[in-house]
Amino acid sequence: MKEINIDVAVIGSGIAGLEASLDVADAGYKVALIEKSPSIGGRMISLSKVFPTLDCASCITTPKMAAVSHHPFINMMTYTEVREIKKNDDGFDLYAIKKPRYINEGECISCKKCEEVCPVYIEDDFEHELSPKKAISIPFTNAVPQLPVLDMNKCIRCGACARICPKDCIDYLQKAEEIHIKAHSVIISTGYDITPMNAKKEYNAISIPNVISPLQMERLLAPHGPYGKVIRPSDGKIPESIAYVQCAGSRDKSIGVPYCSRVCCMYAIKQAMLLSGSLPLADITIYYMDIRAFGKGYEEFYSEARAMGINFVKAKVARITADEKGSPVLRIEHQEEASKPKEIKHDLVVLSQGMIPAVRDFLGLDLEINEYGFVSSRDKTLNPSQTNIDGVFVCGVARGPKDIPDTIADAGSAAVSAVNYIKSIKGKSL
Amino acid sequence: MSDNNLNEAQKRVGVYVCHCGGNISDVVDIKKIVDEISKYHSVVVARDYVFMCSSNGQSLIEDDIKNMGINRIVVAACMPSLHELTFRNAIQRAGLNPYLYEHINIREQVSWVHKDNPQGATSKAILLIKAGVEKVLMQDPLNAIRVNAEHRVLIIGGGISGMRAAVSSADNGIEVVIVEKEKKLGGKLNRDGYVYPSDEKAVDIVNKFSKKILSNPLIKVYTESEIINIGGYVGNFDIKIKKTDGDIDNIKAGSIIVATGFDHYMPYDGEYGYKKSDYVLRLKEFIELLSKSDGLEFVFKGKKINSIGFIHCVGSRQNEGIDAPQADGKVNEYCSRVCCTSGIYTMNKLKEKFPDVNVYDVYADIRTYGMESESLYEIASKHDVIFFRRPLDERPQITFEGDKIKITTTDILSFNERLEMEVDMLVLLTGMKPSEIDDISGYLKLSKSTNRFLQEVHPKLRPVEMNINGVFAAGTSLSPMDITESLQSAQTAAMKSAILLSNPDIPLDPFVAVVDEERCTGCGRCVEECLYSGAVTITEKTIDGNIKKVAYVNPAMCKGCGACVAVCSERAIDLNGSRLSQFEAMIDAIVKE
Amino acid sequence: MQQNNKSKILIIATNHSSYPGANAVGQAHISYPSNTYIIRVPDPVMFPEDFYINSFKKGISGIIIMSSGSDCPYEGAYKRLSKRIENVYIKMKELNISTERLRLTTICTVCREAFIKEISDMERIVSK
Repeated sequence: MKEINIDVAVIGSGIAGLEASLDVADAGYKVALIEKSPSIGGRMISLSKVFPTLDCASCITTPKMAAVSHHPFINMMTYTEVREIKKNDDGFDLYAIKKPRYINEGECISCKKCEEVCPVYIEDDFEHELSPKKAISIPFTNAVPQLPVLDMNKCIRCGACARICPKDCIDYLQKAEEIHIKAHSVIISTGYDITPMNAKKEYNAISIPNVISPLQMERLLAPHGPYGKVIRPSDGKIPESIAYVQCAGSRDKSIGVPYCSRVCCMYAIKQAMLLSGSLPLADITIYYMDIRAFGKGYEEFYSEARAMGINFVKAKVARITADEKGSPVLRIEHQEEASKPKEIKHDLVVLSQGMIPAVRDFLGLDLEINEYGFVSSRDKTLNPSQTNIDGVFVCGVARGPKDIPDTIADAGSAAVSAVNYIKSIKGKSL
Repeated sequence: MSDNNLNEAQKRVGVYVCHCGGNISDVVDIKKIVDEISKYHSVVVARDYVFMCSSNGQSLIEDDIKNMGINRIVVAACMPSLHELTFRNAIQRAGLNPYLYEHINIREQVSWVHKDNPQGATSKAILLIKAGVEKVLMQDPLNAIRVNAEHRVLIIGGGISGMRAAVSSADNGIEVVIVEKEKKLGGKLNRDGYVYPSDEKAVDIVNKFSKKILSNPLIKVYTESEIINIGGYVGNFDIKIKKTDGDIDNIKAGSIIVATGFDHYMPYDGEYGYKKSDYVLRLKEFIELLSKSDGLEFVFKGKKINSIGFIHCVGSRQNEGIDAPQADGKVNEYCSRVCCTSGIYTMNKLKEKFPDVNVYDVYADIRTYGMESESLYEIASKHDVIFFRRPLDERPQITFEGDKIKITTTDILSFNERLEMEVDMLVLLTGMKPSEIDDISGYLKLSKSTNRFLQEVHPKLRPVEMNINGVFAAGTSLSPMDITESLQSAQTAAMKSAILLSNPDIPLDPFVAVVDEERCTGCGRCVEECLYSGAVTITEKTIDGNIKKVAYVNPAMCKGCGACVAVCSERAIDLNGSRLSQFEAMIDAIVKE
Repeated sequence: MQQNNKSKILIIATNHSSYPGANAVGQAHISYPSNTYIIRVPDPVMFPEDFYINSFKKGISGIIIMSSGSDCPYEGAYKRLSKRIENVYIKMKELNISTERLRLTTICTVCREAFIKEISDMERIVSK
């Protein structure tokens, strides 16, 4: 088994993990950044632009990804899944599996010839199923590392990729590799999933194609997205009327997410602003309970959106059905006027889904999590990054819903905690 | 410095044009740029790429340096504050001096501002890139200046953020000096009552930290003290501290964390009835009153309190034309973030103590974001707090009738009905405003945001770093935050400061004045013009066996303003990285076509 | 573009405030004419008086110096700069160059409207 000795193991390489790794490494400590996906970058790299500055998400994330991949103190371990974590007297033993990409990583020159010739199309999870990709492909344009992955479950073993590869890299028989990582400290930055599309049965989001997730809308709005423009998935029509259903996965006991996810108001406003830029004639309506624009510059952003003519309607959406053309019909219970529930048709509907923890089981680590599955702080008013276990720290959405600026501020907090923890134990052993 | 001796023919320029995934290429004709620039003198290669800042894009540049002998780089992309450093690092990795590089901004200053004129935008981009080529051709390799750094951090402000930053810095082995203007540490937490989200007594939090601070030999605390001057630069800040007894201490610090916190918004007389009645209180006053009140009935100044109204957004989310402006003529447009939760938490405390008191809450949006806060809101509903939602552009009216306070508001929740309610007491959920720190921000020349809080370099790329190298900000000096968020921000500031001080010497940008000793006549005009006494002096030097008077620049003291450059008739003093001749060449390129 | 060949406006912008200010205009996607060329400097105080005169002689139609004013990180530089520009005005008069074509102003990092106003004012002057 391959053995790696490092100071801090960072689990999860979204913006929280990237930041924490860079801080720890810049402070002179060795990091293993462990990521189960084939590329680092997490959710943020798939977003279009980010509020409230409207910077392109890629422009903020890619330099951090590049810095991580070039840092002499960071061992970037992608496509690697942690299977077990044990606390011992010196620190932590992490047992991980590096999954096979079925290519020789050291030899690959990222020329994408294999991708060009592969005859098999599969669902592209990066594009949230909006467009297909090849069974062997580099995960996305800005992926780090730029290495293709072969989906062996979908591969028809035609051999086209192996024949065209100029470096003879394709290895159909590649095996998973076991890795033992010894670390003094662990940072958990495992991030979030969004609440499932079918969480709220009344919204029929699975059966109505023009009811989409906010992450799908991010891809539609991204300059390098699947279609290069915003069209509705069912028929490619340019939508003239788009609606956002707020709290479609939060503040709702019936789906087990009673808490507020903190970001949905702002991403809906941001997407609405971007939409009114790319589709100036479209009507955009946001159905909401409270607009929670609480961060720096957010209230001003919200005011700007109102001034741009985006409709904010305080109403509950009771049900979504579809008309014969596939357009979603929303049953609206207005809260601002005394009227009976109304049925309103839109061309495209985005469900503002909430955040749930991506990981709830820490594989042998007796980590305290709260009733919703987020990692708890031992003492919120002393050091929010400290978990119940000495040497284990948490940052980003793994600790609770957060937007990007809050996540980045949180990552530095976990990093300094880990660095200082190592200083304290090393000081004792000297 | 062998590169200095390259002749013109040996200088090989590579130009890299970014599409920014459409942000640039949707307006600017990238192909035309590349075609035209390829033909420009000294340009060996011109390339374009969808995201030049990505690993692939950076590799293009690195490969060309290694394989094609490119030794001057021009990147045309977004604004340099985003990626100038990214490309410098890439160039350095490829073995080239990172300053042999010019960054041209064709997004914020071309494609995003000339959307209506793609042709004009393209021609402008071409001329700017040509000017960039001219500048980089005259660029010398530069090396970072290293300065010794004091292994000590100055923390301004001893509230929760300052205390957290102090403990984290000391745990990192760095000496800490905290300067607090009040008598003791703790800032706004030195008050009666409890706080969310931990439901602790505010002072208990202060005690947790002050124990750690007072027992730590690395931390020196100045209370009732004031900073009266800050000079110097990163690694070597000179601070004058005026103590209680009037004595002045001079200390040195390598970095500074500004944790000056917030002030409570103070309503003007009559704002929602404030100061017109003893029964109109700010939230802070009410929390202290509540923590002192016990018994079966809530009695204040002889009156039994049966009902209390709460008004949200006092001093926050203001609109011009509706709310009275602040001293600077502006309204507080921002949301103060904590008042909804803090207010609702207090209503719950009230209801637990005095369940019979009726509570009416007038709000625009309830912003109990996150997990714990949202459950507080739910608990408030269970406690039968009655919520009234006002329209965004209306304010509740407060009038006094006998010993009753009358609130008049439109309520959206009852379909825009006009409601009147009488209460015995009114609580104003006042927001946060930045502390008065014109002195500190003046000494350090710190940038401020439009909302008057400190302005970070970038909310996502560098969220705790200030515009001045070596200065960081933490907590509510940056924007409204709750306790947990302040702690996060303070620890991140401590991390960045610790990284800066992790080496005994700090590398500094080499953009300082340099003297061409052959041309210099030692006339001293530059010394007269210099804004920083001691940065440039006249010394005697032996050159080719002759003793000669020449100007000498101390690179750690020179700030690189260039005032000296303008007055040198011999053109013997110039600015590294921004030479006068470089700008002249840029202008030649701009006027050429 | 004809406009580009005819009249070019040089904008001297500071690292500290007016260059980011110009970026703020970009981030807000506010349009302005494309015959404007921004050069980024630590501080305009570095340019000798002849620099401006020579730029006009080379064919620049208008120059806007966007200084950092009171926000200037170099204390005292603005005073030096404005004195220098007064001398430039004297030289311009001697050479019969309209002094309107050189403008010294202050632009902050978020001064979007002021930035646009300066450009449209200069645009009007150089199109005369």
